[in-house]
Amino acid sequence: MPNNEKPNSPQTGELNRRELLVKAGAVGAGAIAAGSLAGGAKAAVKRSGTTNLRRGGRLIWGLESDPVHVAPYGQILTSGHWGKEFAYDSLVEWDRNLNVKPALAEKFQIVSKTEILWTLKKGIKFHNGKELTADDVVYSIGKMLNPPLPGSISTLGQVPAIAGADAVSKYVVRLRLKQPDARVIGFFAWGRYAPIVPEGLYDQINVARNAIGTGPYRMVGFNPNDRVEYVANQSFWKTGLPYMDAITLKTLPDEQARVAALRAGAIDGATLSVDVARSLAGDSNLVVLKGPNAGFRELQMTIKTGENKPWHNQKVRLAVNHAINRADIIRRVYSGEAEYSGHVPPGYGPWPLTDAELRQKYEKFDLPMAKKLMADAGFANGFSVTMTTFSGQDYPQISAVVQSQLKQIKVDVNIVAQEGGTFAANNGAGRFDWDLTGRGMRGDVDGYMAEFHPAAAIFKIWYPEYRNVRAWRGIGNGRIQLDPAKRLPIYKDAQRALLLNPVQIPLVAIKKYQVVRKRVQNMYVAFSDFNSGLRNVWLSE
Amino acid sequence: MGSYILRRIGFAIPTLFGVTIGIFLMVRLLPGDIIDILFGGDLTASEEVKDQAREQLGLNGSYLEQYWRWISGVAQGDFGFSLRNTEPVSNVILDALPITLELVILGLLIAVLIGVPLGVISAVKRDSAHDYAARVGGLVGVSIPSFWLATLLLLFTSRVFGWVPPLNYVSPFDDPIANLSQFILPAISISVFTLAIVMRMVRATMLEVLGQDYVRTARAKGVSRRTVISKHALRNALIPVITIVGFEIGVLIGGAAIVEIIFGLPGVGYVLLQAIFGRDYPVIQAAALLIAVTFIFANLLVDILYGVLDPRISQE
Repeated sequence: MPNNEKPNSPQTGELNRRELLVKAGAVGAGAIAAGSLAGGAKAAVKRSGTTNLRRGGRLIWGLESDPVHVAPYGQILTSGHWGKEFAYDSLVEWDRNLNVKPALAEKFQIVSKTEILWTLKKGIKFHNGKELTADDVVYSIGKMLNPPLPGSISTLGQVPAIAGADAVSKYVVRLRLKQPDARVIGFFAWGRYAPIVPEGLYDQINVARNAIGTGPYRMVGFNPNDRVEYVANQSFWKTGLPYMDAITLKTLPDEQARVAALRAGAIDGATLSVDVARSLAGDSNLVVLKGPNAGFRELQMTIKTGENKPWHNQKVRLAVNHAINRADIIRRVYSGEAEYSGHVPPGYGPWPLTDAELRQKYEKFDLPMAKKLMADAGFANGFSVTMTTFSGQDYPQISAVVQSQLKQIKVDVNIVAQEGGTFAANNGAGRFDWDLTGRGMRGDVDGYMAEFHPAAAIFKIWYPEYRNVRAWRGIGNGRIQLDPAKRLPIYKDAQRALLLNPVQIPLVAIKKYQVVRKRVQNMYVAFSDFNSGLRNVWLSE
Repeated sequence: MGSYILRRIGFAIPTLFGVTIGIFLMVRLLPGDIIDILFGGDLTASEEVKDQAREQLGLNGSYLEQYWRWISGVAQGDFGFSLRNTEPVSNVILDALPITLELVILGLLIAVLIGVPLGVISAVKRDSAHDYAARVGGLVGVSIPSFWLATLLLLFTSRVFGWVPPLNYVSPFDDPIANLSQFILPAISISVFTLAIVMRMVRATMLEVLGQDYVRTARAKGVSRRTVISKHALRNALIPVITIVGFEIGVLIGGAAIVEIIFGLPGVGYVLLQAIFGRDYPVIQAAALLIAVTFIFANLLVDILYGVLDPRISQE
C-alpha cells in the first residue's frame, strides 16, 4: 500500500518501520522491532487530495454513538475513544498503515525479557502547559493497571502483563513486566487503553468530562449525549500540526440524520453503512471514502461438557465451514465490499493468512466435500440448530444468507435476533449454541487468538471440550516470543490449526465507509477503531 | 373543590409508589446487565473480575437492598450516579429535561391549536369538502409513525432546501428564533398523531353537542351561530377532549424519545434509550420515574380541569 504522506510532511520525528527497527536495534540487544505488531496494512484505499494546504476552520464530525465519558482509562466503549482520541497520545503510535512510530517516546530499549526502558522526547507540553516527564508516564501506567471510575476494570484484559513502572531519570522510564509479553508495544501503539496524562490528573479535573493530554486538539467541553468540542493545541509536539482551528464531534445516532446533516452542510463527515454511503456517491458536494477495517464477522459455537450436539464432531464443524459460500455473502450482503477473513482480519499487518490461502483451502466453498463430511460424521440428514445474532446492522442479513447456504447440507438454522445487551449477556454466559457475531480491533495479534487457549476464562464457558494442541502451543508461545520475525510463523500456524479444526468460523471482513464534504482534505478511513484520519485533516474552504 | 383535589392527590401517591416498584423490577428483568456489556469485548475475564466490577459500580446486594438504597436516596432527592459515566443522575436528567419539556409542550400546542379548530370546522361544515379533507387528514395523521415522519421531514428539508435544524441546543431564553427553528420539525413530528386524535374527538363531540336541545334553544332565542358554537357547544365538547389530551401527553413523551434521537436532541427520551441500551439502571429508573410522574401529574391536572369545566364532577 503506498504511503501518501506528503514529502514535506510537517510530522517531524516520524521514522519509517525500517528506520525505527534499525534505531531500536541500535539501542540495545533484544530491542523489540518497531512494527512488530503490524505493518504493511492495507489501509485507506481512497482519500481526498492534499494540494493547496490551508490552515484554520472548524470541522464538525457526526458520531454514530455518544462517547458517554472521556476518561483516559477503563473506557470500554469504542465511542468513548472517539470522544477523547484527539486529546491524548501514547508512547508510540500507529501510522495509517499500522506501522509503529515513535510518539511521546523517541526510543525504547529492551533491557531484558521483563524490562523495557522508554526514553521520552524532551520539551513536549501537556495542554495545561506542563512538560511531559517520566513521572507522568509512571502515573499514567499506574492508572492503566487500576482504572478508577468512571473507567472499569473490565478493560484490564486488554492490558499486557505490566508489573509497574518507575522513573529512571526525568526523561527515562523503566517498564517492568510480570513475564515476557509481546503485546506491550501494540498496547501503547493502539493507545486505546494507554494514553499518557499529566501526573495527578484525576485530582485536577473531572476526567469524565474533561481531558488534559498532549494530543493535537485540546478538549474544551464534553456534553454527554450531545457533543465534544476541541480547539487546536498550539504547542503540539508535531511541528505544523494540527491544521484546523477546531473540531466538534456531534453525536447523531440516527443514520438518516447524519445523511441529512451531511447534505445540508451541517456536518463535514460521518461514518455510514455501505448502502447508505454508496447512495451518496452521486452528490457532487460529498466524497465517499472506504477502507478495510478490523471488524469481521464470525460464527461462534459452544462445545460444552455433558452436551452431545452434532457440531461437537470436528467433521460437522468443517462441513459447516466449507458449506458457507463467502463470495456469495460478500456479493449479496455487502455489494462486493468485503473480504474473506481468517481469525485475524485482512489488513492487520502481516499477521492474517493470505486471501488465496483462505479462498483456495481453509475457507474454500466446497459443497460436495461438506456433504461428505456430514455423511462421514453420521449427519447426512442434517440437524436443527438455533443461531442467535444482533438485531441491527448487517447481522440479520448475513444470518439469513448463512441460513440459506447451510440448508444445502440439511442444517436447519433457526435465527434469533437479539438486542445488544441481551446478546452480550447470553454470549458472555455461554447461553447459546451458535452465535453470529462480530469482532473488532486489537492491539496485538494475540487479542484475536487468546480465547482459543484453555487459560482464557471464556474457554471454560464456551468450549471446554474443544481440543487443539497445535493451536494452543502456538498461542502460548506467541505471547512470550518478543521477536516479531519468530512470532509471525507461530501465529500463522496457529490460525491454520484453528481453521483445520474450527470452533469459531470466521466469515468475512467488512469495509468501513466514511463520507466527507468536498472541503475535507487529507482524510482517510482508519483500519483501527479510531477516526485517526481526522488528526491530519485540513479544510479547503 | 379543595377536597376533590386532595382526593386526587391521595390517589396519585400509591400509584407513584407502585410505579417505583414496577420500574425497579422491570429494569432488572431486562436480560443482561452493565457488567455483561462492559465485558462483552473481553473474552478472557474471569467471574471474579466481573464480581469486582459489579462491586465497583455498587451493584452488589439483593434486589430488596438495592431497591431500598435507591428509593431512600430518591426520597432525599439523590437519584444516584450513572453507572456509565458516574455523573449524578439528577444532573443528567436536569440537563435533558428542558429539551423534552419544550418539545412536548410545543407538540401539544401544535396539536391543540390546530386540532381543535379543525375539528370544530369539520363538525360545523359536516360532509363538506372541508370535512372530508379534515377526516382524511385525520386518518393519515393517526396512521403515520412519528419516527417515519421525522426522518422524512429531515431528509426533505436537507434535500430540497439544503437545511436541517441547528445541531446544538439553543435555549429559548437565549435565542427564541434559533430555538424555534431547532424544535419546529421535531414538534411537528410528534404532534401529528395527537393532532389527528384531537381533531377527530372534537369533531365527534361537537356533532353530538350541536344536536342537543340547549343548542337549538339558544339558536331559537336568537343567539348568533358563532356564539352558540364557541360558548355553548365548544365548552361542553372540550371536556372529553381534555381527557384525551391528558393521555396524549404520554404518547407525546413516547414519540419524543425516538424523535429526539433522530434530531440529535439530548432530551429525557434520548437519555432513557441510551441508558436502556447501556443497562444504566439509575438513569433508566430516574428517567422512567420522571416520565411516570409527568404522566400522573398531567392526569391530575386533567382531573382538576374536569372539575372546573364541569362542577358536577367535583361535587360528586
